[in-house]
Amino acid sequence: MMPFDTFPAGVFPAGMQDHTPMPSPLEIIDARKSFRTPEGGTMTALDGISLKLASAEFVTLLGPSGCGKTTLLRTISGFETLDAGEVLIDGAAVTQMPAHRRPVNTVFQRYALFGHMSVARNVGYALEIAGRDKREIRARVGEMLELVGLAGMEQRAIQQLSGGQQQRVALARALAAKPKLLLLDEPLSALDKNLRQKMQQELKALQRELGIGFIFVTHDQEEALTMSDRIAVLAHGQIQQIGAPTELYQTPANLFTADFLGESNLLPVSVTGGRACLTDGQSFAAAHATGAATLLLRPEALSITPPEGHALSFTGTLRETYYTGTDHQITLETPAHGTLHALLRSGAALPGLGSEMTLHAPAQGLHLIDETLP
Amino acid sequence: MILRRLLSLYGLLFFVFVYAPILLVVIYSFNANTLNMMIWDGFTLDWYRQLFGMETSLTQSATFVDSTDQLWGAVRTSLIVALSTSVFSTVCGTALALAVARYRFRLARFYRTLMMLPMIMPDIVLGIALLIFFITIGMNLSMLTIIIGQSTFLISYVFVTVSARLAEVDTSVEEASADLGATPAQTFRKVTLPGIAPGILGGWLLAFIISMDDLVITYFIAGTGNTTLPIHIWGLLRRGIKPEINAIATLMLLFTLVIAAAGLYFRSRRQK
Repeated sequence: MMPFDTFPAGVFPAGMQDHTPMPSPLEIIDARKSFRTPEGGTMTALDGISLKLASAEFVTLLGPSGCGKTTLLRTISGFETLDAGEVLIDGAAVTQMPAHRRPVNTVFQRYALFGHMSVARNVGYALEIAGRDKREIRARVGEMLELVGLAGMEQRAIQQLSGGQQQRVALARALAAKPKLLLLDEPLSALDKNLRQKMQQELKALQRELGIGFIFVTHDQEEALTMSDRIAVLAHGQIQQIGAPTELYQTPANLFTADFLGESNLLPVSVTGGRACLTDGQSFAAAHATGAATLLLRPEALSITPPEGHALSFTGTLRETYYTGTDHQITLETPAHGTLHALLRSGAALPGLGSEMTLHAPAQGLHLIDETLP
Repeated sequence: MILRRLLSLYGLLFFVFVYAPILLVVIYSFNANTLNMMIWDGFTLDWYRQLFGMETSLTQSATFVDSTDQLWGAVRTSLIVALSTSVFSTVCGTALALAVARYRFRLARFYRTLMMLPMIMPDIVLGIALLIFFITIGMNLSMLTIIIGQSTFLISYVFVTVSARLAEVDTSVEEASADLGATPAQTFRKVTLPGIAPGILGGWLLAFIISMDDLVITYFIAGTGNTTLPIHIWGLLRRGIKPEINAIATLMLLFTLVIAAAGLYFRSRRQK
C-alpha cells in the first residue's frame, strides 16, 4: 500500500475522506462515586472507571452484585450524579444533565411499565412527551411493536401481558424515541431459561439491525459471553478487564476475571528462564517474566487421551461426575494440585467413582496470569 | 363440629351486636307511633316529610324540630365545612405524603410519626387546645375556625391514606418516565398522580365523612352562628329523644354509605 501522503491533493481512496470522525456513542472518563452507608461509613461504588465505545457496540457490564455496574448504568442514564469524572454521550458532555434531557433510554430490570396506560401509550410515551403529532406516534408505535414481535397488541392492558411480552413492551418503549444509546439493566433476569436464551439472540440481532450502542448490565457470565461485542468485568468499583468475550475467557488478565468468567483450574507456577514449573516438577515453555505466576487450565482443556507432543498430566482420584448430555463434568482430587475440574466429551470412558485416573493437557499455548494465588 | 357451630354462632352474635342498633334506628324511622317509638304502630313516612317541611298529620308536641330551616341551615354549614376541610386537607396531606416518601431528608421518620400523632390524640384534648389557641391569637370563633381546626387532624388521615398508596407505587416507574424525557412536572401529572389517585380520592372521602360527623372537636371551636349538623342533633337530644331523630340518623347513614360506596367503586375501577 502506498504511503498516505503520496496521494494527489483531493484524491483519497474510498473510506479515507476527510470528514469529521463519528463521535463515540458513550465515553466515561475517570468516573468516581461513593455513597454514605446507613451505618455512617462510605462505600465506593465507582473507583475511577473509564470506558469508551468505539462505535455502535454491544458492551456488557459484568460483575457480582455490589460491584458498581448498576451505579455506572445509572450515572449514564442520569439518575446518579458523579462525585468526579465525565460522561459524554455522542460526543457531548452530559455529566450535569438531568435524566430527562439525556438522549439515552433504559430497559429497566422489572420493566417499570406504566400500569394505567395501554401498550400503545406506553410505547408512545416518549413521543407523546416530545409533543409529536398523533398520526406520527401511532405509526411509530406500530413499527416498534412489529419490531419486538407484538404487532396488533396496541390496545392491550399491561396486566394482560405475560412477563416476556412485558419485557418486549419495555424494549419497544425504550427504542421508540430513537435513542443514541440503549441501556439495559438486567432485563432478562426475571424470565425463565428458554425465554431468556431466545431474548438473548433477539437482543443481539436487534442491536445489529438498529446500529446503536447497547450497554447491558448483568451478573450472568453466560449471558455476557453470548451477547457481547465486548465485556467489561467490574469488581470493587473498578474495571478489572475489558475485551472481547473470547479474549476474556482465554486470556484473563487477573485471577478475578479468570474465576468469574467460566469454570477454571488455577495452579501456581514459578517461571525461570522461559520455563514454567508446576509444584510437582512438571514444566513447559512459557513466554513470561521470571517469577511466580498462576496457570489457567479451563476444564475443557483436560482430556483422558494424551494429546500429541509434550503434555502435562495430572493423576488423582475421581470424586464426582455429572452427566449433562453433551459432556461429563468431573472432579478429580489430586495429591499435588488439589481439586481439578474437567469437562469431557460425552462417551469418554470413565472409571468408577473413587478410582484413580489421569488427565492430560497440551503443554503449548497455556495462559499464565501475573497474579499469584493467595 | 360443635366448636365450628359455636364459632358460627359467635360470628352471628357479633354482627347482631354491631348492626342491630343501627337497624333499629332505620326501622323506627318508619314507625307511625308518635308516643313510644319502641312499639310498632304501622308504617309512615311522616318523620321524613316533617324533616323536609312537608305537610304531615303530626301534632306539634310530637316533634321537636322547631323549624326545618334550622335543621337545613345546620346541614348547609356541615356541607360547606366538610367540603372546604376535605379539599384543604387532601391537598396538604398529599403534598406531605409525597415529600416524606420521595425526598430524603433528616428526621424524615420523625416527621412521619409526627403526622400520625393527631389521629391518636384524644379529641377532647385537641378541642380544648384549639379553643385556647384561637382565643390566644384573638380569632373569633366562626366557620373558619371549624375549618382550620378540623384540618389539623384530617390532614393526618389523608397523609396516612396517600402514604399507603405511595408505598405501592414503584419509584422505578417515575424513573422510567424521566428516562423517556418527561420533566418532573410531567412525570408527576402523567405517572405519579394516576398511580396515587385512588389513595387521594379515598383520603378525600374519608376526610369528608369524618368532618361531616365530627362532634367533639367542632363543639369547642364552633361559633354561635355556625351550628353543624352533629352539634344541632346534640342540641336536639338534650330535649329528649323524639322519633324524628331516627329519620335524620337514617338519612345521614344513607349519605355516608353512598359516599363510601362511591369510594369503593372508584378504587375498584382503578385497580382493573
